Amino acid sequence: MSWGSSRVSTIATAEWRLWMRSKSAIAALLAVVLIIAATSVLTAVRFTEERQERAHQQEVAEETFLSQPARHPHRMVHYGHYVFRTPPPLAIIDPGVDSVTGQSIFLEGHRQNTAMFADTRASANVGGFQTLSPASVYKVLIPLLLIALGHGVFVREREARTLAPLLAQGVSGVTLYAGKVLALTALSAALLTPMLIMSLIGVASGEAASVSLAVVAAYGAYLLVWSALIVLMSAALRTRGVVLGCLVFVWLSWSLITPRLAVASASAAEPSPGKLETDYQLKADLRKLGDGHNAADPAFNALKANLLAEYDVDSVEELPINFRGAVAQASEADLTEVMNEYAERRMALEIRQSHHANGFGWLSPTLAVSAASRHLAGVDLETHHRFLREAEAVRFDFVQGLNKSHVEELSYADDIHRNQSAEASRRARISPENWSVLNEFRFQPATADERFGAAKAPISMLTVWLTTLIAVGVFASRRLKP
Amino acid sequence: MSGLGRELWFLWRDRAAKVWLLIGCAAAGLAVVFGLTEIAAQRDMIERLKAADEIERAVTTEGHREDWGSAAYYTFHLTYDPPEEFAFAALGLRDASPWKHRVRMLALEGQIHESDAANPDFALTGRFDFAFVAAMIAPLILIMLLHDLRSRERASGRYNLLSATSADVRMLWFSRAAWRVGALTFVLLVPLWIAGFMSGAGASKLFAASLALLAHLLFWWTVIAFVNSRTWTSTVNLTALIGLWLAFAVVAPAAIKASVDAAIGVPEGGDIMLTQREAVNDAWDLPQEATMTPFVERHPDLEPYAEVEGTFEWKWYYAFQQVGDQVAEPLSVAYREGRARRDALAGRLAWLSPPAKLERALQRMAGTDALAALQYEDEVRAFHADLRAFYYPPMFKGEAVTDAALAERPNFEIPAKGR
Amino acid sequence: MTAALEAVNLTVERSKQTVLLDVSFGVAPGEVYALLGGNGAGKSTALLSFLGLLTPKSGSARVQGRSVTDDLTAARRVTAYLPEAATLYEHLSAHENLAYFLSLAKAAADRAAVDRALDRVGLQPEARDKRLGSYSKGMRQKVAIALALLRDTPILLLDEPTSGLDPVAIDEFNTLVRSLADDDRAILMVTHDVYGACQVADRIGLLRKGELVGGFERPAEGRIDTEAVHAAFAGRTVA
Repeated sequence: MSWGSSRVSTIATAEWRLWMRSKSAIAALLAVVLIIAATSVLTAVRFTEERQERAHQQEVAEETFLSQPARHPHRMVHYGHYVFRTPPPLAIIDPGVDSVTGQSIFLEGHRQNTAMFADTRASANVGGFQTLSPASVYKVLIPLLLIALGHGVFVREREARTLAPLLAQGVSGVTLYAGKVLALTALSAALLTPMLIMSLIGVASGEAASVSLAVVAAYGAYLLVWSALIVLMSAALRTRGVVLGCLVFVWLSWSLITPRLAVASASAAEPSPGKLETDYQLKADLRKLGDGHNAADPAFNALKANLLAEYDVDSVEELPINFRGAVAQASEADLTEVMNEYAERRMALEIRQSHHANGFGWLSPTLAVSAASRHLAGVDLETHHRFLREAEAVRFDFVQGLNKSHVEELSYADDIHRNQSAEASRRARISPENWSVLNEFRFQPATADERFGAAKAPISMLTVWLTTLIAVGVFASRRLKP
Repeated sequence: MSGLGRELWFLWRDRAAKVWLLIGCAAAGLAVVFGLTEIAAQRDMIERLKAADEIERAVTTEGHREDWGSAAYYTFHLTYDPPEEFAFAALGLRDASPWKHRVRMLALEGQIHESDAANPDFALTGRFDFAFVAAMIAPLILIMLLHDLRSRERASGRYNLLSATSADVRMLWFSRAAWRVGALTFVLLVPLWIAGFMSGAGASKLFAASLALLAHLLFWWTVIAFVNSRTWTSTVNLTALIGLWLAFAVVAPAAIKASVDAAIGVPEGGDIMLTQREAVNDAWDLPQEATMTPFVERHPDLEPYAEVEGTFEWKWYYAFQQVGDQVAEPLSVAYREGRARRDALAGRLAWLSPPAKLERALQRMAGTDALAALQYEDEVRAFHADLRAFYYPPMFKGEAVTDAALAERPNFEIPAKGR
Repeated sequence: MTAALEAVNLTVERSKQTVLLDVSFGVAPGEVYALLGGNGAGKSTALLSFLGLLTPKSGSARVQGRSVTDDLTAARRVTAYLPEAATLYEHLSAHENLAYFLSLAKAAADRAAVDRALDRVGLQPEARDKRLGSYSKGMRQKVAIALALLRDTPILLLDEPTSGLDPVAIDEFNTLVRSLADDDRAILMVTHDVYGACQVADRIGLLRKGELVGGFERPAEGRIDTEAVHAAFAGRTVA
């Protein structure tokens, strides 16, 4: 290598000295540090509380279900149960979709409910970005600070006519470039310290160290993309005004415009019919399955014939099992199959939409880093879907568990006569031990490996951005002109 | 060259200014196109839903005529909140708050909080609508247009010459800035007006929106003029102004939101449903009077028919559905009031953040704000009450289901909106 | 004859530092007065006071007998100013620049008049519709001088007008300045160029650390003695 590392660090140090002597640079730096500190502390406090709160709510919900008195099993199917999605430890850095999706689901027989009560609905509406998280500060605000401090690295020397003497000293353009990038990189690294601390807090609360550090690394790469771009623009353009104008334009399009264009493009390319609309189709499909509450529905004639043949009896009254329970069980299974088909179709559509939108990361590293950060932190769309699927598994298990009790623990005669008198109604109940069919639910985000897998695409986008910008920067600095 | 024409010509010769104005125009143009597309898609969806609802209602009505209880149990009713003509400009909360619901005679609290939200990744990013361009992007463009108006002249040594040459130097700086503010306002408003006429939004609304935008830009002009009045360099000006933009457009809204949410507590939404569910489920095991007594308090006219025979009767079933709502009512009212109070306080505090104020104002005009969402919720509640008023008498009196009676069944109608 | 420009006990502070102290001089119509001094002597401060861009702490800068601060507009109407290293707009041509600045000054000038002025300062006709960005420093200076000419004011203020020009251009410029003075204009130029000042000035005021420390006057025949001025400027003699 022709450029000595000591020269590179000398150049970088000179840049730092300049910043430290500028009152406006110090003021900007302090303001940003203050914002990072405030958002980090607030987000950390909020999500630590939420994690405890939701874990607690989950326990309460389970206890409540288990402590229900003796009841008709189908009543418990409708009594239902709640599951809560506990935010992952790294939500203290990036809350991701947590704030826009509901965090709990009510589980009951015959229905797949949507997640309820997203924060956004009840909280104050003030437009714009609304909430600031450490993630959004690093994505949106810090690049502005880098621009403010870094845009002049070359163009300042050019305007002050100090570039020619520097080059005349035998310092190569590439050495200068490396020194200036190093100065901004060191600044970025210093600014990443709070995030590193947050990720270590994440590790302390049980997150895998690999993904925790990878989140920090992704933001590091992102800030490096900015540093490389800023130095490149400063080297390639003639005047400060033009450099600043171009950088602000890039910032505007990367962080404000492109992400929203991506959303518009994705929703145009993959239009979503919405749940309500598919519900009509679903209802039409379900009508073919028969009403599981009505054992006389002709849709269950085949089931009836099979059971009669299996037990070799002539009427449902003679069956050793409760026919009404069998109908409930069979219809729940059929119903769930149809509902899952619709749910899977909907989730697949959402994933396609998100992939389409995230593809715009090739145009905006800001979009790429947000996708990478959400995937790595376990607060992405896939995690939400995982929650929906796991909730559905819990739902199906306990409903079918209760239906099984319905089949085995309650006689058909007692069941059909349950509305005749108060005494008959009491006979048509089963004991609370049967409620233990409910599985304990503790939502866990995907494993580190799965998350790295999901983040592969945005990480490769960031890598391509970084290598391209550095390659162009080195190329441009070779032919650096004063 | 006359004084005013001279500075317009000067602006025309400024390439950087033209580029920024073009960006502004393109952003506003794209925003209204996206807005119009989204609104058209929402209207289409409502039409499709209405058609699907009609088919399904015919099927369920035909299949469940044995008694009023079954008819009410199986029949869903579509309600919807169609976008207003001006909604293209500010899509507002329509992504987060439901604008379509299907309800039936069961406890309303179990139905009205269902959401049919779009892709959460989208909700996270937000929409590219005119309100966003006007509130967030326009100030940045104005900053880029104005921040170096004087400092650039100072840096290139022209400032003294301009001052010494100009017959009215204050007029010079004023008209230079004014043309830029005017040009930006113009390029932002032209797409808005075109889209407004295409969608049939009233001229008065377009006019009010234009005034709001102008007021917003005038605020920023004042801020920029203040910063420019310091004798700082262009770089320092720009850094300071972008800092102020961050403060007003990003940090202040986040702080307002956080403090409003902290200051005004709202019951956990989940608690409302939980309370209602518990009440409905417990009712099965309670003596029937425990349900019918609170029920007839609300419906004294039905008292003569409130006697329940046997262990199950539809009127008892629906009575405990309603009592479930009644039990959850304090929470539900608190939830509604809380949201309304949060919105009102946010509206007052939004004066601290002109971009937030503008976005809220545009959403108000577009009928896509929190108040509009609450209003729709109230409409659904009123409709649900109509359904109860329709079903209860024949159900309690044990009348037969007839075509003539079914023809009287209420349909959701969009009330005339007083926005 | 009343002086067109007059500094009366002019004292100016900038950033709490006294940069001009009790300076008095006058410039009559038809006269070239050179304010000579080193860096930081207060030359430009004196000039900016006449433009009303600085407000005196005490004393006054007077234009045609009236204090500049009393009637700024009137003062500027009769004053043309040629800044140091004059840079007009680089993205505009000579014609466009002149049209723009003349409009600013509310001075009417048709294209023929503009071309006459450009002829007089010697800017090649083929360059006149090209952007100033492509001009040499001397050419830019010529456009700025043309602007001063076109303003057609009785008073001219020149700030280091020849710095950065080549010797031929300086000669041309000095000739032009003399001819402008002969048209009965009052010309105040501030410079650190001893030779140039001696060549064109009728009188020279020597400024040091904000104070007027000496004066020279052109003899009836010939020029001010360069050597004497130089000696005084360098502090070797008291003028």
